[in-house]
Amino acid sequence: MQPILKFEQVEKRYPNGVQALKGVSFEVSEGEFISVIGPSGSGKSTLLRAINRLIPITGGSVLLDGQEVSGQRGGSLRALRRKVGMIFQNYNLVYSLSVLQNVLHGRLGYMKGVKGIFGLYSEEDKREALALLGELGMEQFSYNRAADLSGGQKQRVGIARAIMQKPKLLLCDEPIASLDPSSAKTIMDLLHDMTQRRNIACIVNLHQLDVALKYSTRIIGLARGEIVFDGAPEDLDDATIEKIYGTSRENLMIGGGGTLDDKTDPAYCA
Amino acid sequence: MSQNTNECISLREERARRENRARIPVKCAQRNRFIPGFLIGVVVLSVISLLYLQIDWLKLASRVPDIGEVFWELAHLDFANMDLIWSSLIETISIAVLSLLYSLLLGIVFGMLAARNVFRIPVLSVLTQSFFTFLRAVPTPVWVLLMLVCLGMGPEAGVAGLCVHTTAFFTKSFAQSFESIPDETIEALEVTGAGRLGIFCNAVLPAALSQIVAWSGMRLETNFSECAILGMVGAGGIGYVISNSLQGYDYGTAGVAILLVFLVAYAIERMFVKIKKKFN
Repeated sequence: MQPILKFEQVEKRYPNGVQALKGVSFEVSEGEFISVIGPSGSGKSTLLRAINRLIPITGGSVLLDGQEVSGQRGGSLRALRRKVGMIFQNYNLVYSLSVLQNVLHGRLGYMKGVKGIFGLYSEEDKREALALLGELGMEQFSYNRAADLSGGQKQRVGIARAIMQKPKLLLCDEPIASLDPSSAKTIMDLLHDMTQRRNIACIVNLHQLDVALKYSTRIIGLARGEIVFDGAPEDLDDATIEKIYGTSRENLMIGGGGTLDDKTDPAYCA
Repeated sequence: MSQNTNECISLREERARRENRARIPVKCAQRNRFIPGFLIGVVVLSVISLLYLQIDWLKLASRVPDIGEVFWELAHLDFANMDLIWSSLIETISIAVLSLLYSLLLGIVFGMLAARNVFRIPVLSVLTQSFFTFLRAVPTPVWVLLMLVCLGMGPEAGVAGLCVHTTAFFTKSFAQSFESIPDETIEALEVTGAGRLGIFCNAVLPAALSQIVAWSGMRLETNFSECAILGMVGAGGIGYVISNSLQGYDYGTAGVAILLVFLVAYAIERMFVKIKKKFN
Protein backbone atom coordinates (compact mmCIF):
# COMPACT_ATOMS: atom_id res chain seq x y z
CA MET A 1 0.00 0.00 0.00
CA GLN A 2 1.22 3.46 -0.87
CA PRO A 3 1.99 5.68 2.12
CA ILE A 4 -0.14 8.82 2.51
CA LEU A 5 2.80 10.90 3.57
CA LYS A 6 6.49 10.47 2.92
CA PHE A 7 9.31 12.67 4.24
CA GLU A 8 12.65 12.23 2.48
CA GLN A 9 15.68 13.89 4.04
CA VAL A 10 13.66 17.04 4.78
CA GLU A 11 15.68 20.08 5.81
CA LYS A 12 14.42 23.42 7.07
CA ARG A 13 16.67 26.34 7.80
CA TYR A 14 15.00 29.61 8.78
CA PRO A 15 16.35 32.90 7.40
CA ASN A 16 17.72 33.67 10.87
CA GLY A 17 19.99 30.64 10.61
CA VAL A 18 18.06 28.28 12.89
CA GLN A 19 18.13 24.74 11.53
CA ALA A 20 14.68 23.45 12.54
CA LEU A 21 14.74 20.13 10.66
CA LYS A 22 17.82 18.07 9.81
CA GLY A 23 17.44 15.19 7.38
CA VAL A 24 14.04 14.04 8.62
CA SER A 25 12.66 10.90 6.93
CA PHE A 26 9.56 8.89 7.75
CA GLU A 27 6.40 7.46 6.20
CA VAL A 28 2.79 7.53 7.32
CA SER A 29 0.19 4.96 6.25
CA GLU A 30 -3.59 4.98 6.45
CA GLY A 31 -5.17 4.72 9.88
CA GLU A 32 -1.99 5.41 11.84
CA PHE A 33 -2.18 7.59 14.97
CA ILE A 34 1.24 9.12 15.43
CA SER A 35 2.38 11.32 18.29
CA VAL A 36 5.34 13.61 17.78
CA ILE A 37 7.08 14.41 21.06
CA GLY A 38 10.09 16.53 21.90
CA PRO A 39 11.06 19.62 23.87
CA SER A 40 10.05 23.13 22.80
CA GLY A 41 12.09 24.26 19.83
CA SER A 42 12.82 20.70 18.67
CA GLY A 43 11.01 21.33 15.37
CA LYS A 44 7.61 19.71 16.03
CA SER A 45 5.57 22.65 14.72
CA THR A 46 7.87 23.09 11.73
CA LEU A 47 7.50 19.40 10.90
CA LEU A 48 3.72 19.65 10.93
CA ARG A 49 3.61 22.87 8.89
CA ALA A 50 6.02 21.51 6.31
CA ILE A 51 3.39 18.90 5.39
CA ASN A 52 0.86 21.39 3.96
CA ARG A 53 3.49 23.94 2.99
CA LEU A 54 2.49 26.55 5.54
CA ILE A 55 6.25 26.59 5.97
CA PRO A 56 8.24 25.92 2.79
CA ILE A 57 11.11 23.47 3.27
CA THR A 58 14.67 24.20 2.20
CA GLY A 59 15.81 20.68 1.30
CA GLY A 60 14.64 17.13 0.67
CA SER A 61 11.07 16.34 -0.35
CA VAL A 62 7.63 15.91 1.16
CA LEU A 63 5.31 13.57 -0.75
CA LEU A 64 1.62 13.85 0.08
CA ASP A 65 -0.54 11.13 -1.44
CA GLY A 66 2.21 10.54 -4.01
CA GLN A 67 2.54 14.19 -5.00
CA GLU A 68 5.49 16.43 -4.29
CA VAL A 69 4.32 19.29 -2.00
CA SER A 70 7.19 21.74 -2.40
CA GLY A 71 6.67 22.37 -6.12
CA GLN A 72 2.96 23.18 -5.83
CA ARG A 73 1.48 26.63 -6.13
CA GLY A 74 -1.93 28.25 -6.53
CA GLY A 75 -4.77 25.91 -7.38
CA SER A 76 -2.84 22.66 -7.20
CA LEU A 77 -1.44 23.58 -3.78
CA ARG A 78 -4.97 24.34 -2.56
CA ALA A 79 -6.16 20.99 -3.93
CA LEU A 80 -3.38 19.25 -1.99
CA ARG A 81 -4.12 21.22 1.17
CA ARG A 82 -7.73 20.03 1.08
CA LYS A 83 -6.46 16.52 1.79
CA VAL A 84 -4.91 17.62 5.07
CA GLY A 85 -7.01 18.87 7.97
CA MET A 86 -5.42 20.80 10.79
CA ILE A 87 -6.27 21.45 14.43
CA PHE A 88 -4.57 24.16 16.48
CA GLN A 89 -3.72 24.80 20.11
CA ASN A 90 -5.66 28.08 20.04
CA TYR A 91 -8.55 26.68 17.95
CA ASN A 92 -8.27 29.62 15.49
CA LEU A 93 -11.99 29.90 14.82
CA VAL A 94 -13.68 33.03 13.47
CA TYR A 95 -15.31 34.01 16.74
CA SER A 96 -17.88 36.45 15.36
CA LEU A 97 -19.47 33.70 13.25
CA SER A 98 -21.78 30.85 14.27
CA VAL A 99 -20.49 27.41 15.17
CA LEU A 100 -22.10 26.01 12.02
CA GLN A 101 -20.43 28.63 9.80
CA ASN A 102 -17.08 27.76 11.33
CA VAL A 103 -17.62 24.06 10.62
CA LEU A 104 -18.66 24.84 7.04
CA HIS A 105 -15.37 26.68 6.51
CA GLY A 106 -13.95 23.20 6.05
CA ARG A 107 -15.79 23.02 2.71
CA LEU A 108 -14.38 26.29 1.31
CA GLY A 109 -11.52 24.50 -0.41
CA TYR A 110 -14.00 22.50 -2.51
CA MET A 111 -16.08 25.47 -3.62
CA LYS A 112 -15.30 27.30 -6.79
CA GLY A 113 -15.77 30.92 -7.83
CA VAL A 114 -18.57 33.04 -6.44
CA LYS A 115 -19.95 30.26 -4.21
CA GLY A 116 -16.66 29.98 -2.40
CA ILE A 117 -16.16 33.72 -2.11
CA PHE A 118 -19.58 34.41 -0.63
CA GLY A 119 -19.82 31.18 1.35
CA LEU A 120 -22.94 29.83 -0.38
CA TYR A 121 -22.83 26.29 1.00
CA SER A 122 -24.96 23.51 -0.45
CA GLU A 123 -27.79 21.98 1.61
CA GLU A 124 -25.91 18.69 1.56
CA ASP A 125 -22.84 20.31 3.15
CA LYS A 126 -25.06 21.92 5.79
CA ARG A 127 -26.73 18.58 6.62
CA GLU A 128 -23.33 16.95 6.90
CA ALA A 129 -22.00 19.72 9.14
CA LEU A 130 -25.00 19.40 11.45
CA ALA A 131 -24.59 15.63 11.58
CA LEU A 132 -20.91 16.05 12.42
CA LEU A 133 -21.75 18.50 15.20
CA GLY A 134 -24.25 15.94 16.48
CA GLU A 135 -21.56 13.27 16.50
CA LEU A 136 -19.36 15.57 18.58
CA GLY A 137 -22.22 16.38 20.99
CA MET A 138 -22.34 20.00 19.86
CA GLU A 139 -25.62 20.10 17.94
CA GLN A 140 -27.39 22.37 20.43
CA PHE A 141 -24.67 25.01 19.97
CA SER A 142 -24.85 25.06 16.15
CA TYR A 143 -26.26 28.58 16.00
CA ASN A 144 -24.29 30.08 18.89
CA ARG A 145 -21.44 32.46 18.31
CA ALA A 146 -18.13 30.61 18.43
CA ALA A 147 -16.88 33.22 20.92
CA ASP A 148 -19.41 32.05 23.53
CA LEU A 149 -18.07 28.49 23.76
CA SER A 150 -15.67 27.00 26.33
CA GLY A 151 -12.18 25.90 25.34
CA GLY A 152 -13.08 22.24 24.98
CA GLN A 153 -16.15 23.11 22.90
CA LYS A 154 -14.11 25.39 20.66
CA GLN A 155 -11.67 22.58 20.02
CA ARG A 156 -14.57 20.28 19.09
CA VAL A 157 -15.62 22.87 16.51
CA GLY A 158 -12.02 22.84 15.29
CA ILE A 159 -12.20 19.06 14.89
CA ALA A 160 -15.51 19.31 13.02
CA ARG A 161 -14.06 21.92 10.65
CA ALA A 162 -11.07 19.71 9.89
CA ILE A 163 -13.22 16.59 9.36
CA MET A 164 -15.53 18.55 7.00
CA GLN A 165 -12.57 18.75 4.64
CA LYS A 166 -12.78 14.95 4.23
CA PRO A 167 -9.04 14.80 4.79
CA LYS A 168 -6.76 11.79 4.36
CA LEU A 169 -4.47 13.13 7.02
CA LEU A 170 -5.19 15.14 10.16
CA LEU A 171 -2.51 17.32 11.74
CA CYS A 172 -2.94 18.42 15.36
CA ASP A 173 -0.62 21.06 16.71
CA GLU A 174 -0.74 20.63 20.50
CA PRO A 175 -4.52 20.23 20.49
CA ILE A 176 -4.90 19.92 24.27
CA ALA A 177 -2.20 22.31 25.51
CA SER A 178 -4.76 25.01 26.46
CA LEU A 179 -7.39 22.66 27.94
CA ASP A 180 -8.22 21.41 31.41
CA PRO A 181 -7.52 17.69 32.07
CA SER A 182 -11.13 16.63 31.60
CA SER A 183 -11.68 18.50 28.30
CA ALA A 184 -8.26 17.27 27.17
CA LYS A 185 -9.35 13.67 27.63
CA THR A 186 -12.63 14.28 25.75
CA ILE A 187 -10.74 15.87 22.87
CA MET A 188 -8.14 13.09 22.66
CA ASP A 189 -10.90 10.44 22.77
CA LEU A 190 -12.82 12.22 20.02
CA LEU A 191 -9.73 12.69 17.88
CA HIS A 192 -8.84 9.05 18.25
CA ASP A 193 -12.35 7.70 17.58
CA MET A 194 -13.22 9.99 14.70
CA THR A 195 -9.98 9.40 12.82
CA GLN A 196 -10.06 5.62 13.38
CA ARG A 197 -13.69 5.43 12.24
CA ARG A 198 -12.93 7.29 9.02
CA ASN A 199 -9.54 5.69 8.52
CA ILE A 200 -7.81 9.06 8.59
CA ALA A 201 -4.14 9.07 9.50
CA CYS A 202 -3.43 11.44 12.37
CA ILE A 203 -0.25 13.20 13.47
CA VAL A 204 -0.40 14.88 16.87
CA ASN A 205 2.24 17.15 18.41
CA LEU A 206 2.18 16.57 22.14
CA HIS A 207 3.89 17.74 25.29
CA GLN A 208 2.13 15.15 27.43
CA LEU A 209 4.10 11.92 27.34
CA ASP A 210 1.41 9.85 29.08
CA VAL A 211 -1.19 10.97 26.52
CA ALA A 212 1.16 10.03 23.69
CA LEU A 213 1.73 6.58 25.21
CA LYS A 214 -1.99 5.97 25.74
CA TYR A 215 -3.39 6.89 22.32
CA SER A 216 -0.66 6.42 19.73
CA THR A 217 0.00 3.52 17.45
CA ARG A 218 3.42 5.02 16.88
CA ILE A 219 5.60 7.68 18.47
CA ILE A 220 8.17 9.92 16.81
CA GLY A 221 10.68 11.61 19.10
CA LEU A 222 12.32 14.80 17.87
CA ALA A 223 15.38 16.47 19.36
CA ARG A 224 17.10 19.49 17.81
CA GLY A 225 15.45 18.87 14.46
CA GLU A 226 16.37 15.20 14.19
CA ILE A 227 14.32 12.06 14.67
CA VAL A 228 15.86 10.20 17.60
CA PHE A 229 13.04 7.69 18.03
CA ASP A 230 10.46 6.23 15.68
CA GLY A 231 8.55 3.21 16.88
CA ALA A 232 5.75 1.67 18.90
CA PRO A 233 4.86 3.21 22.29
CA GLU A 234 5.99 0.00 24.05
CA ASP A 235 9.52 0.48 22.76
CA LEU A 236 9.90 3.94 24.24
CA ASP A 237 12.22 3.22 27.17
CA ASP A 238 13.77 5.56 29.72
CA ALA A 239 17.02 5.83 27.79
CA THR A 240 15.17 7.03 24.68
CA ILE A 241 13.13 9.53 26.67
CA GLU A 242 16.38 10.86 28.07
CA LYS A 243 17.73 11.20 24.56
CA ILE A 244 14.65 13.12 23.39
CA TYR A 245 14.35 15.56 26.28
CA GLY A 246 18.06 15.71 27.13
CA THR A 247 17.40 14.95 30.79
CA SER A 248 16.56 11.90 32.83
CA ARG A 249 13.01 10.78 33.45
CA GLU A 250 13.00 12.00 37.08
CA ASN A 251 13.39 15.58 35.85
CA LEU A 252 10.31 15.37 33.64
CA MET A 253 6.78 16.11 34.67
CA ILE A 254 5.23 13.26 32.77
CA GLY A 255 1.76 14.26 31.70
CA GLY A 256 2.18 17.97 31.12
CA GLY A 257 4.38 21.01 31.14
CA GLY A 258 6.80 21.97 28.45
CA THR A 259 9.30 23.85 30.59
CA LEU A 260 11.82 21.08 30.70
CA ASP A 261 14.57 22.92 28.86
CA ASP A 262 15.42 25.28 31.71
CA LYS A 263 17.08 22.62 33.81
CA THR A 264 19.39 21.49 31.08
CA ASP A 265 20.44 25.05 30.32
CA PRO A 266 24.11 25.23 31.41
CA ALA A 267 23.72 28.90 32.35
CA TYR A 268 21.07 27.90 34.90
CA CYS A 269 23.54 25.77 36.87
CA ALA A 270 26.32 28.33 36.89
CA MET B 1 29.57 39.08 38.77
CA SER B 2 32.27 41.67 38.06
CA GLN B 3 29.74 43.78 36.18
CA ASN B 4 27.54 43.82 39.26
CA THR B 5 30.29 45.11 41.54
CA ASN B 6 31.14 47.82 39.06
CA GLU B 7 27.55 48.93 39.04
CA CYS B 8 27.49 49.00 42.85
CA ILE B 9 30.57 51.20 43.00
CA SER B 10 29.24 53.66 40.47
CA LEU B 11 25.90 53.83 42.32
CA ARG B 12 27.67 54.58 45.59
CA GLU B 13 29.72 57.34 43.96
CA GLU B 14 26.59 58.82 42.50
CA ARG B 15 24.85 58.90 45.87
CA ALA B 16 27.89 60.49 47.54
CA ARG B 17 27.97 63.19 44.89
CA ARG B 18 24.31 63.94 45.44
CA GLU B 19 24.68 64.16 49.22
CA ASN B 20 27.48 66.70 48.84
CA ARG B 21 25.26 69.05 46.93
CA ALA B 22 22.86 71.29 48.86
CA ARG B 23 19.75 70.70 46.72
CA ILE B 24 18.65 67.26 45.69
CA PRO B 25 17.74 67.06 42.00
CA VAL B 26 14.40 65.47 41.19
CA LYS B 27 14.41 65.25 37.40
CA CYS B 28 15.35 62.24 35.30
CA ALA B 29 19.06 61.75 34.78
CA GLN B 30 18.63 61.34 31.04
CA ARG B 31 16.53 64.22 29.83
CA ASN B 32 15.01 64.26 26.38
CA ARG B 33 16.94 67.03 24.59
CA PHE B 34 14.34 67.14 21.85
CA ILE B 35 11.55 68.68 23.95
CA PRO B 36 13.21 72.07 24.78
CA GLY B 37 14.38 72.26 21.16
CA PHE B 38 10.83 71.70 19.95
CA LEU B 39 9.40 74.34 22.29
CA ILE B 40 11.99 76.90 21.20
CA GLY B 41 11.14 76.09 17.58
CA VAL B 42 7.44 76.72 18.21
CA VAL B 43 8.17 80.11 19.79
CA VAL B 44 10.44 81.16 16.90
CA LEU B 45 7.87 80.13 14.29
CA SER B 46 5.10 81.96 16.15
CA VAL B 47 7.09 85.21 16.20
CA ILE B 48 7.89 84.90 12.49
CA SER B 49 4.19 84.26 11.69
CA LEU B 50 3.08 87.25 13.73
CA LEU B 51 5.55 89.52 11.96
CA TYR B 52 4.61 88.18 8.54
CA LEU B 53 0.84 88.53 8.95
CA GLN B 54 1.11 91.99 10.54
CA ILE B 55 -1.96 91.41 12.65
CA ASP B 56 -3.50 94.64 13.90
CA TRP B 57 -4.30 93.70 17.49
CA LEU B 58 -5.94 97.05 18.27
CA LYS B 59 -8.39 96.71 15.41
CA LEU B 60 -9.05 93.12 16.45
CA ALA B 61 -9.78 94.21 20.01
CA SER B 62 -12.14 96.98 18.87
CA ARG B 63 -14.20 94.43 16.91
CA VAL B 64 -14.56 91.94 19.80
CA PRO B 65 -17.95 93.33 20.92
CA ASP B 66 -19.27 92.59 17.40
CA ILE B 67 -18.88 88.86 18.09
CA GLY B 68 -21.50 89.05 20.81
CA GLU B 69 -23.74 91.12 18.56
CA VAL B 70 -23.60 88.62 15.69
CA PHE B 71 -24.38 85.72 18.01
CA TRP B 72 -27.24 87.75 19.48
CA GLU B 73 -28.59 88.25 15.97
CA LEU B 74 -28.19 84.57 15.18
CA ALA B 75 -30.17 83.71 18.30
CA HIS B 76 -33.18 85.52 16.87
CA LEU B 77 -34.24 82.44 14.94
CA ASP B 78 -36.23 83.20 11.83
CA PHE B 79 -38.39 80.30 10.66
CA ALA B 80 -39.72 82.06 7.54
CA ASN B 81 -37.49 80.12 5.13
CA MET B 82 -38.03 76.72 6.73
CA ASP B 83 -38.88 74.85 3.51
CA LEU B 84 -35.62 75.99 1.91
CA ILE B 85 -33.66 75.05 5.04
CA TRP B 86 -35.31 71.62 5.28
CA SER B 87 -34.77 70.75 1.64
CA SER B 88 -31.13 71.82 1.74
CA LEU B 89 -30.57 70.00 5.04
CA ILE B 90 -31.99 66.81 3.53
CA GLU B 91 -29.79 67.37 0.49
CA THR B 92 -26.73 67.65 2.75
CA ILE B 93 -27.65 64.49 4.64
CA SER B 94 -28.18 62.67 1.34
CA ILE B 95 -24.78 63.77 0.05
CA ALA B 96 -23.15 62.58 3.29
CA VAL B 97 -24.97 59.22 3.24
CA LEU B 98 -24.31 58.54 -0.44
CA SER B 99 -20.64 59.43 -0.22
CA LEU B 100 -20.39 57.21 2.85
CA LEU B 101 -21.99 54.25 1.07
CA TYR B 102 -19.82 54.48 -2.04
CA SER B 103 -16.69 55.00 0.04
CA LEU B 104 -17.61 52.08 2.26
CA LEU B 105 -17.70 49.69 -0.70
CA LEU B 106 -14.57 51.15 -2.29
CA GLY B 107 -12.81 51.24 1.09
CA ILE B 108 -13.45 47.53 1.69
CA VAL B 109 -12.07 46.65 -1.75
CA PHE B 110 -9.00 48.88 -1.48
CA GLY B 111 -8.53 48.06 2.20
CA MET B 112 -8.37 44.41 1.18
CA LEU B 113 -5.65 45.26 -1.34
CA ALA B 114 -3.80 47.42 1.17
CA ALA B 115 -3.88 44.93 4.05
CA ARG B 116 -0.65 42.97 4.16
CA ASN B 117 -2.26 39.73 5.36
CA VAL B 118 -4.91 39.20 2.68
CA PHE B 119 -3.09 38.66 -0.58
CA ARG B 120 0.43 38.56 0.88
CA ILE B 121 1.83 40.59 -2.02
CA PRO B 122 3.88 43.32 -0.27
CA VAL B 123 4.26 45.42 -3.44
CA LEU B 124 0.48 45.62 -3.89
CA SER B 125 -0.05 46.73 -0.28
CA VAL B 126 2.67 49.35 -0.40
CA LEU B 127 1.45 50.76 -3.72
CA THR B 128 -2.19 50.96 -2.56
CA GLN B 129 -1.22 52.45 0.79
CA SER B 130 0.99 55.14 -0.72
CA PHE B 131 -1.50 56.06 -3.44
CA PHE B 132 -4.23 56.64 -0.85
CA THR B 133 -1.85 58.47 1.46
CA PHE B 134 -1.39 60.92 -1.40
CA LEU B 135 -5.17 61.26 -1.84
CA ARG B 136 -5.58 61.79 1.90
CA ALA B 137 -2.95 64.51 2.00
CA VAL B 138 -5.12 66.76 -0.16
CA PRO B 139 -7.99 68.14 1.97
CA THR B 140 -11.64 67.47 1.10
CA PRO B 141 -12.61 71.05 0.06
CA VAL B 142 -9.82 70.99 -2.52
CA TRP B 143 -11.15 67.72 -3.92
CA VAL B 144 -14.65 69.16 -4.07
CA LEU B 145 -13.41 72.26 -5.89
CA LEU B 146 -11.60 70.01 -8.37
CA MET B 147 -14.77 67.99 -8.86
CA LEU B 148 -16.79 71.18 -9.32
CA VAL B 149 -14.49 72.07 -12.18
CA CYS B 150 -14.80 68.57 -13.65
CA LEU B 151 -18.48 67.81 -13.01
CA GLY B 152 -20.04 71.25 -12.73
CA MET B 153 -21.92 72.82 -9.81
CA GLY B 154 -24.27 70.71 -7.74
CA PRO B 155 -24.46 67.79 -5.36
CA GLU B 156 -22.68 65.35 -7.76
CA ALA B 157 -19.43 67.23 -7.21
CA GLY B 158 -20.02 67.13 -3.46
CA VAL B 159 -20.55 63.35 -3.47
CA ALA B 160 -17.53 62.73 -5.72
CA GLY B 161 -15.22 65.05 -3.79
CA LEU B 162 -16.21 63.60 -0.42
CA CYS B 163 -15.82 60.08 -1.80
CA VAL B 164 -12.18 60.62 -2.73
CA HIS B 165 -11.14 61.61 0.75
CA THR B 166 -13.44 59.20 2.57
CA THR B 167 -12.31 56.24 0.46
CA ALA B 168 -8.70 57.13 1.21
CA PHE B 169 -9.52 57.30 4.91
CA PHE B 170 -11.43 54.01 4.88
CA THR B 171 -8.69 52.24 2.93
CA LYS B 172 -6.23 52.99 5.68
CA SER B 173 -8.49 52.28 8.62
CA PHE B 174 -10.04 49.12 7.15
CA ALA B 175 -6.60 47.80 6.19
CA GLN B 176 -5.59 48.26 9.81
CA SER B 177 -8.69 46.41 10.99
CA PHE B 178 -8.02 43.55 8.57
CA GLU B 179 -4.43 43.33 9.69
CA SER B 180 -5.51 43.05 13.31
CA ILE B 181 -7.09 39.64 12.56
CA PRO B 182 -4.73 37.00 14.01
CA ASP B 183 -2.52 35.31 11.42
CA GLU B 184 -3.39 31.94 12.98
CA THR B 185 -7.06 32.39 12.06
CA ILE B 186 -6.10 33.02 8.45
CA GLU B 187 -3.72 30.05 8.58
CA ALA B 188 -6.59 27.86 9.78
CA LEU B 189 -8.58 28.69 6.64
CA GLU B 190 -5.57 28.43 4.38
CA VAL B 191 -5.15 24.78 5.34
CA THR B 192 -8.68 24.01 4.18
CA GLY B 193 -7.49 24.87 0.67
CA ALA B 194 -9.66 28.00 0.47
CA GLY B 195 -8.62 30.76 -1.93
CA ARG B 196 -7.51 34.22 -0.84
CA LEU B 197 -10.82 35.92 -1.70
CA GLY B 198 -12.77 33.15 0.01
CA ILE B 199 -10.71 33.59 3.19
CA PHE B 200 -11.20 37.34 3.05
CA CYS B 201 -14.98 37.23 2.63
CA ASN B 202 -15.62 34.34 5.04
CA ALA B 203 -13.20 35.08 7.85
CA VAL B 204 -11.45 38.44 7.69
CA LEU B 205 -14.47 40.57 6.77
CA PRO B 206 -16.91 39.11 9.33
CA ALA B 207 -14.27 39.40 12.05
CA ALA B 208 -13.62 43.05 11.19
CA LEU B 209 -17.29 44.00 10.77
CA SER B 210 -17.80 45.69 14.14
CA GLN B 211 -14.73 47.84 13.55
CA ILE B 212 -15.99 48.78 10.10
CA VAL B 213 -19.29 49.93 11.58
CA ALA B 214 -17.45 52.03 14.16
CA TRP B 215 -15.31 53.69 11.50
CA SER B 216 -18.37 54.37 9.33
CA GLY B 217 -20.23 56.06 12.16
CA MET B 218 -17.29 58.28 12.88
CA ARG B 219 -16.92 59.12 9.23
CA LEU B 220 -20.63 59.84 8.63
CA GLU B 221 -20.43 62.47 11.32
CA THR B 222 -17.30 64.02 9.77
CA ASN B 223 -18.78 63.86 6.28
CA PHE B 224 -21.92 65.62 7.42
CA SER B 225 -20.00 68.51 8.97
CA GLU B 226 -17.66 68.70 5.98
CA CYS B 227 -20.65 68.68 3.69
CA ALA B 228 -21.91 71.79 5.46
CA ILE B 229 -18.65 73.53 4.60
CA LEU B 230 -18.73 72.22 1.03
CA GLY B 231 -22.02 73.97 0.34
CA MET B 232 -20.14 77.22 0.75
CA VAL B 233 -17.83 76.41 -2.16
CA GLY B 234 -20.84 75.58 -4.34
CA ALA B 235 -21.58 71.91 -3.86
CA GLY B 236 -25.16 72.52 -2.75
CA GLY B 237 -26.77 71.72 0.57
CA ILE B 238 -27.19 73.58 3.81
CA GLY B 239 -23.77 75.24 3.62
CA TYR B 240 -24.99 77.22 0.67
CA VAL B 241 -27.97 78.48 2.66
CA ILE B 242 -25.75 79.42 5.62
CA SER B 243 -23.20 81.35 3.58
CA ASN B 244 -25.90 83.00 1.46
CA SER B 245 -27.96 84.23 4.41
CA LEU B 246 -24.86 85.39 6.29
CA GLN B 247 -23.75 87.42 3.29
CA GLY B 248 -27.25 88.92 3.04
CA TYR B 249 -27.20 89.76 6.80
CA ASP B 250 -30.16 87.39 7.22
CA TYR B 251 -28.89 86.19 10.58
CA GLY B 252 -32.19 84.63 11.68
CA THR B 253 -32.24 82.08 8.84
CA ALA B 254 -28.52 81.33 9.26
CA GLY B 255 -29.11 80.76 12.97
CA VAL B 256 -31.80 78.15 12.33
CA ALA B 257 -29.59 76.39 9.75
CA ILE B 258 -26.55 76.34 12.05
CA LEU B 259 -28.65 75.01 14.92
CA LEU B 260 -30.01 72.22 12.73
CA VAL B 261 -26.50 71.27 11.56
CA PHE B 262 -25.47 70.99 15.18
CA LEU B 263 -28.52 68.90 16.12
CA VAL B 264 -28.10 66.47 13.22
CA ALA B 265 -24.37 65.99 13.89
CA TYR B 266 -25.13 65.34 17.54
CA ALA B 267 -27.92 62.88 16.67
CA ILE B 268 -25.62 60.95 14.31
CA GLU B 269 -23.00 60.65 17.02
CA ARG B 270 -25.47 59.40 19.64
CA MET B 271 -26.97 56.95 17.16
CA PHE B 272 -23.65 55.33 16.34
CA VAL B 273 -22.62 55.09 19.97
CA LYS B 274 -25.77 52.98 20.44
CA ILE B 275 -25.20 50.91 17.30
CA LYS B 276 -21.60 50.18 18.25
CA LYS B 277 -22.71 48.85 21.63
CA LYS B 278 -25.09 46.45 19.91
CA PHE B 279 -22.30 45.10 17.73
CA ASN B 280 -19.88 44.08 20.46
